Amino acid sequence: MDEKYRVMVIDDEESARKLMKAAIDWDSLGMEVVGEAASGIEAINTIDDIKPDIAFVDISMPFMDGIEFTKLATERYPNLIIIIMTAIDQFEYARKCVSLPVFEYMLKPLVRSEVTDVLIKAKEKLADIKSSWGDDDGKSIPEESNSTEMIKKYVRDNFSDSKLNLAFVAQQFGFSSSYLSRKFKADTGKNFVEYLTEIRMKKAVKYAEKGYKMYQTAAEVGIPDPNYFGRCFKKYTGKNYSDM
Amino acid sequence: MFFSKHGFIFNRKSKDSLSSGLKRVILGMILVVIVSFIISTYVVTETERRDFSVRESESVIKTLSNNIISDIDKYKSLSRLIMTDDKTLIFLRSDVHDIDIGMVNDARYSIMEILNVTEGVDSVIIFREDMKMVATNRFSYNYDYDLMNTDTWKTDIYTGLGKAVVSLNSNKIATKQDGSPVVTIGRAIFDIDSQERTGILLMNISPKIFNNLLLELRYDDICIMGSDGTFLSGNEDYAKYYKKEFSEKGLTHKNIKIAGKNMLLSSGRIEGLPLVILRVSAYQTKGIPTKMVVILLFLLLIFIALAIYIAMFIRKNISEPIMEMSSSMDENRQSGELHKISVPVPNDELRILENDYNSMIDHVNELIDKLMEKEKNLQKAEMRVLQEQIKPHFLYNSIDTIGYMALDAGARDVHGALETLGSFYRNFLSKGEKEIPLSREVWIVKDYLSIQKLRYGDILDDVYDIAEDTKDLIVPKLILQPLVENCIYHGIRPKGERGTIKISSRLSDGNLHIIVRDTGVGMSTDAIEKVLSAKKNEAEDLDSESFGLWGTIERVRYYSGKEDIVRIRSEIGEYTEIEFII
Repeated sequence: MDEKYRVMVIDDEESARKLMKAAIDWDSLGMEVVGEAASGIEAINTIDDIKPDIAFVDISMPFMDGIEFTKLATERYPNLIIIIMTAIDQFEYARKCVSLPVFEYMLKPLVRSEVTDVLIKAKEKLADIKSSWGDDDGKSIPEESNSTEMIKKYVRDNFSDSKLNLAFVAQQFGFSSSYLSRKFKADTGKNFVEYLTEIRMKKAVKYAEKGYKMYQTAAEVGIPDPNYFGRCFKKYTGKNYSDM
Repeated sequence: MFFSKHGFIFNRKSKDSLSSGLKRVILGMILVVIVSFIISTYVVTETERRDFSVRESESVIKTLSNNIISDIDKYKSLSRLIMTDDKTLIFLRSDVHDIDIGMVNDARYSIMEILNVTEGVDSVIIFREDMKMVATNRFSYNYDYDLMNTDTWKTDIYTGLGKAVVSLNSNKIATKQDGSPVVTIGRAIFDIDSQERTGILLMNISPKIFNNLLLELRYDDICIMGSDGTFLSGNEDYAKYYKKEFSEKGLTHKNIKIAGKNMLLSSGRIEGLPLVILRVSAYQTKGIPTKMVVILLFLLLIFIALAIYIAMFIRKNISEPIMEMSSSMDENRQSGELHKISVPVPNDELRILENDYNSMIDHVNELIDKLMEKEKNLQKAEMRVLQEQIKPHFLYNSIDTIGYMALDAGARDVHGALETLGSFYRNFLSKGEKEIPLSREVWIVKDYLSIQKLRYGDILDDVYDIAEDTKDLIVPKLILQPLVENCIYHGIRPKGERGTIKISSRLSDGNLHIIVRDTGVGMSTDAIEKVLSAKKNEAEDLDSESFGLWGTIERVRYYSGKEDIVRIRSEIGEYTEIEFII
C-alpha cells in the first residue's frame, strides 16, 4: 500500500490537536494527519477537501458538538471511521451517541499506546473497505447539461443552512461527491467549496455594512462558528470583520 | 395546596357530620312525636267530650221522660176518678130518651168540680155509645162531626180495653179554635156492674204542664214535640231539627252545626206516649279527660328531654373529641413536626384511636431518624472517598516535579503554566473550607483564567477592581469561578471576538457587591427571568448555561439566607453583568 491513510482531528482546543499530531508516530502506522478543524461547523465545510479515512472527534465543541457532527458524517460518509474522544466528566453526555455507528470511544487525556492500538485496528478495517473518496463511480450517470445550473441555484437558495456541503448536495442530486466535484469544477471553473464560500462571504459583506455583529452575521450566512467564519472572511476579503 | 387543605379543615362541620346528622334525626323524632301527640290527644278528647255529652243528654232525656210519664199517670188517675163520678154514671146509664139538658149539665159541673183541684186539663169530653156527649170548655173547640160518627178514631181506645191511651188533639175530632195543640188521654168506659162498654172519655191536657215541668227542672235546651211533628213545649228554635224517624227509635244522637258551632242533637221518644224530647247541647270541656292528657304531656316532655340528652351525649363524647383530635393531628401536619397528640378523650374507643395514632407517629419518627442517620453516614463516607480521590499533596508534588523538569529542559513557559495550575488547585481545594476571603476567591479566578488563556489562546482580557476594604470579607467558596466559566463558554467564545471579563467589588450600604461583567453575546430578558425565578424542581428545564448560573445563585441565596441577592443586567450582543449583593 503506497498511499497513506488520511487522518483528520476535530477538536476545539488547538493544543489538543497539536498534541495529537506530535505524539503519535504516524509514519510507522502508514498514516498521515492531513487536516484539522476547531468545530463541527468547520469540519463540515472542509471535510470534502480533506477527504479523511479516519476522524478523531471531540464530544464537547461549541456551535456544533461532536454528536451532531457524527450524526451528519455517518449519513454522508458511510465508510469514514469515527473515533470519539471524551473527557471523563462528559461521559454521560457521550452515552447519548452510543447508538451511532462510531468505531471507538476514547477517554481524555489520551494515552499514546491506546491510541496506537485503536489505529492499528482501524487500519485492518480500512484494508477491507473501499475509500469513501473513490474516483471511479459517476461515470455511468448520464450527463445532464443543466444539472450544474440547478446545483448552483440550490446552493444559492440554501447557503444559510450550516449543514450544507458537497457530499450533502451530491446526495440530493444523486451524484457521487467526486463526480460532482469534478463536474462542478469543469462547468464553472470553480471548486464547489469555493463557490459556496463566495456566496456566503458576499452576503456577509452586506451584513457587515449594515453593522451586524460578527457572530450574528456568521449565523445568518450558515457558518455559525464565528472563529471559522472570521478566518473565511479574512481569506475572502483580505480584511478582519471588525475592520469593515 | 396548603390553602385548599385549610379550607377543608374549616369546612369539616359540613352537613355530613355526625353531630348535625344527629341533630336532624332528633329534631325529626321530636316533631313526629309532638304531632302524633296532638292528633291522638285531639281524637281522644273529642270522643270523650261527645261520649260525655251523649251520656248527659241520655240522662236528661230519661229524667224528663220519667217526669212526663208520672205527670201523665196523674192525669190518667184523674180520668178514672171522673169515670166513677155519680153524675157521670147517671149520664152514661140513662136511657137515651131520658137525657135532658139538666142531666148533661149536672154531669159537666160534677166533672168540673173534680178538675178544679188539678191544673192543666183543658177539657174533658165523654161520649155515650150513641154518641151523646158531655164536654167541659166545649166552646173553645171546633168539632169534626163527620169523623166523629165513624169508628176509626175510636179503634186505638177500644183496643186499650179500658186502659188509658194517650194521643194528640182528641184524635182529630175536636181541635182548639186557636190551633194550640193538646195531649189527649182516651179511655173506653165499661160499666162496673154489667161490665159492658158504655162510652168513651177523652181528656185533653194543655202542653203548658210541660212548660212548668221544664221550668221546674231548669231545662232550657229542650224541646218537646208530638210524634206527628207538632211543637208542644220548650225551646221552639229546636223544633226545626225534628225528623220523623225520631218518633220511631228510642234514643238518637247526631252532630249539628248551629251558628258555626258543633252541637249534639239528642232525641228520645217517651215510652208509651206520642211524645218526643229533643235536646241540643254544646260539647263541654267537662268531657276532656284531663288526667290522661296531663300524663301524655308528661311522657312527651320526658321523651324530648331524653332526646336532647342523647344528642348532647354523642356530641360531647364522640363528635367534639374527634374534632379536637383531628385539629390536633392537623396542627402536627402543618407544623411539619410529628408530635404525639394528647387530647383528653371521654371514652375507651377514642383512646384506642389516639393511642394508635401516637404509636404510628412514634414509628414514623423512628423511621425518619433512621433515614437521617443513614443519610449522614452516607455523606460522611462519600466525603471520605472524595478526599481520598483528591490527595492534594500527591498532586502538588507531581506538579512541582514536572515544573522542575521543564525548567531544567529550558521550557520556562511550561514551568510557568504548571505553577499557575498548582496555585489554582491549592486555592480551589482550600483545605476543604467552604468559606474563604474574597481575595482568595479572586486568586482562583485569576489562575483559572490564565490556564484557560493557555488552552484557547488570547481570546480574552481580564480586569480586576477589588476595593481594599472588601478583600478580607468572607464569601462562599467558588462563587466567582463558575460565573467566569459561564462568561467564557456562553458569553465570549460564541461571539468569536476577543472579549473582556471584569471583576469588581465594593462595600455599599453595609453590603458586599461583587460584579462580574463580560463583553459576550449577552442574555435575553427571558433567559434572565427564567434563571432568577426558577424553583428547584424547575431547574432541570434550564439549559446547561443557565443551570450553572442558577446553581451558583442558589448557593449564595442559601448562604445569605435571603432571596433577593442578585441582579443581572445585559444587552444582547454587548455585555452581561451579574451582581451579587451579600
